[in-house]
Amino acid sequence: MSAIMYKKIPYILLVILFAFSCKSGQESGGEFGEVPDSVLSEGLLEINEDVMQDIVQNISSPVEMAALLKSLGVPFSSEYLAPTDKVDNLTTSFKQAFNLGVYGADLGYLNMYNKTNAVLDYIQAIKVLSDAIRVGQFFDFNTLKRLATNNTNLDSLMYISVHSFNQMDKYLRSNKRSNLSTLILTGVWIEGLYLATQVAKEEDNADLKERIGEQKLILEKLIIVLENFSRDTNFANLVADFKDLQETFEPVEISYVKGEPEAIEEDGMLIIVQNEKSVVDISDDTLTEIIDKTEELRNKLISAI
Amino acid sequence: MKKICYILTLFFFTTVLVKAQGTDILVAQCAASAGENVTYLKDFVVELEAATAGEKPPQAKFSMVLSKNTMYRFTICTAPDSEGEAIIQLYDMNTLLGSSFIMATGKSYPGFNFKCQKTGVYHVFISIKDGKPGRAVGILSFVEKL
Repeated sequence: MSAIMYKKIPYILLVILFAFSCKSGQESGGEFGEVPDSVLSEGLLEINEDVMQDIVQNISSPVEMAALLKSLGVPFSSEYLAPTDKVDNLTTSFKQAFNLGVYGADLGYLNMYNKTNAVLDYIQAIKVLSDAIRVGQFFDFNTLKRLATNNTNLDSLMYISVHSFNQMDKYLRSNKRSNLSTLILTGVWIEGLYLATQVAKEEDNADLKERIGEQKLILEKLIIVLENFSRDTNFANLVADFKDLQETFEPVEISYVKGEPEAIEEDGMLIIVQNEKSVVDISDDTLTEIIDKTEELRNKLISAI
Repeated sequence: MKKICYILTLFFFTTVLVKAQGTDILVAQCAASAGENVTYLKDFVVELEAATAGEKPPQAKFSMVLSKNTMYRFTICTAPDSEGEAIIQLYDMNTLLGSSFIMATGKSYPGFNFKCQKTGVYHVFISIKDGKPGRAVGILSFVEKL
């Protein structure tokens, strides 16, 4: 083979790779099929994608709020959960992604309380929605179903659930569909706040009150990220709703007490103690307003079918 | 010529696939190594090139929200094919809060617990010691509510 032919190999490879990638998209249909233009975020962004990711990559976790509720000794209640019976009526990628986040938070809540019987409905709903926005390949439905049905290895059930959401998030962000990953995140966050505020209605707990109050900071970040897509009417409406919610958080005051971090070693484990502290001041009236507004907004968003 | 291209393409795809699977396994192993009674929250997968002479060693940055009165665990796992050991560091703005490698003593830890007292955005940096090339996985886990 001539030297010229060798030089051409990289170019030929590139062409082949391109052809293969296009072809594989067409062939695999459902899971890797073409993504409609309506769900691509490229060209919509007000700020650079990297800058946006730098704002915050993990605003809320589907299990952290549930872990807090469980650690407070709050009993499980299925009444807090979003119903899954109308999942097939969610026909736009906007609603599908948002509700995927809502169900993700509910799945975290169910897993945290080991309610494996009810988990199946949520796994099924998440499967439907993740397939609809073409990220179903990251959701290991069969393994999750098996783990939930056998009621064994609950750690694995939790790991696979959370890891699946993380994989979906990474994939969407890296494929210029961060509008959808932002919606999933928003769904997770509002459902987590809803769970916390519903519990706060019944339980007078200072830790919970503080955790709700400090969501003021998270909401601020979330609105910045959502505004980035507000050329889309659906996002613009969502931002308006979240700004209404933000108004109820306005009286919450967060102050800081300075302190230097300390490193200690206990049983071979390095422990970093943060001595800078935040102090959240939230009145009962403000809490009540936040509870009411969160309930109204969350119910409006999950029923907007 | 066709055969060469076919073999090279096949080799490329196989390498990518094997690497992706290897990363998934490393994430699962690292999450498991974080310990019992902790809940996996997030993973940070990095692949860093060797530092070039006179430049700062490459590092990967991830931002996240951590909540007050919560104990988190940061765990770092270096891929077996890496040339150097990975380090995970936690920053609040520009202040270093914790690191898996203590420069003063030269001691490395598989990770560290962080008693968070302030809700806010924190930054995780992952780098490879001495600017060597390598792959690594960082894991953030929830330990307990304080």
